[in-house]
Amino acid sequence: MVSGGVKITIKLFSALREALGESEFQLDLSDTSEASAPVDVASIKKQLSQRGAEWKEALNQPNLVHALNHKVVFTDAVVTEGDELAFFPPMTGG
Amino acid sequence: MSVALQSEAIDVAAEYAQLVGDSPGAAVATFTGYVRDHSDQHAVTKLELEHYPEMARKVLEDLGHSAAERFGLRSWRIVHRFGQLAVLDTIVWVGAVADHRGEAISACELMMDTLKTDAPFWKREQGPAGEQWVASRDSDTERRARWQSGEAQ
Repeated sequence: MVSGGVKITIKLFSALREALGESEFQLDLSDTSEASAPVDVASIKKQLSQRGAEWKEALNQPNLVHALNHKVVFTDAVVTEGDELAFFPPMTGG
Repeated sequence: MSVALQSEAIDVAAEYAQLVGDSPGAAVATFTGYVRDHSDQHAVTKLELEHYPEMARKVLEDLGHSAAERFGLRSWRIVHRFGQLAVLDTIVWVGAVADHRGEAISACELMMDTLKTDAPFWKREQGPAGEQWVASRDSDTERRARWQSGEAQ
C-alpha cells in the first residue's frame, strides 16, 4: 500500500517542456495508486494525462521517451519514493 | 577517460594534446562536429542545445567505458556543448587512443552514432524561417542500430 506523502520528481524537456509550460515538479504517488499494486510509469502518465487535453496529447505521443533515474525505461518500470522520472521527445544531440 | 559538458567553445587542440599526453598510443582518432548552416529544409543561423545534465553525463560516461571495453582503448574523451551556438561553432568532440587505427576509428564512430540518439540533448534551430525543434532522423537510429546488431564492428 502506498502511503500519503510519497513523492517523486517529474522533469520535462524540449518540446514537451515548452508545450506544457513546466520543467520540474513534485508528484505525490499516493494520488496515483488506489490499490496495493506498484506504481509504474504507465500509471503516472495516466494520472498526469488527467491534467488536461494538452497533457494527454503530449504524454501519449508514440515516440515519447521515459527516463527513470537517468536511464531510459519502458512504461512498466516501477517507480518508488524519491525517484526522478523524466519525459521527453527523441534525442537529437551530436 | 572522461566526459565534459560545457557551454563554451571546444578547444580542439587542447583536447587533443591532453588526450594523447595522458595516454600515448600508436593510433589516435578524433571527430569534431560543427553547427551546420542548413537543415533538411531551412537555412540555419543559430542553434540552441537543451540538455538533461545529470543523465547526459551518465549516458556519455557509460558510452565511453563501453567503447573502451569493446575496442581495448588506452584512453577516450567525449566533449559536448549546450546552450546557444552559432553556425560553424564546435558542438561535439570525441577522441580515442588505441594500439591500432581500426579500433580508434571504430570507437569514435560508435561514440558518435550512439550519442546522437541516446544522449539527452535536443537541438532547436533558428533561421530566417523561424525557430523549430529538430526532429530525430531515421538514418541516425539506423546507424545506432548497426552497433547493436553486430553489422558494425
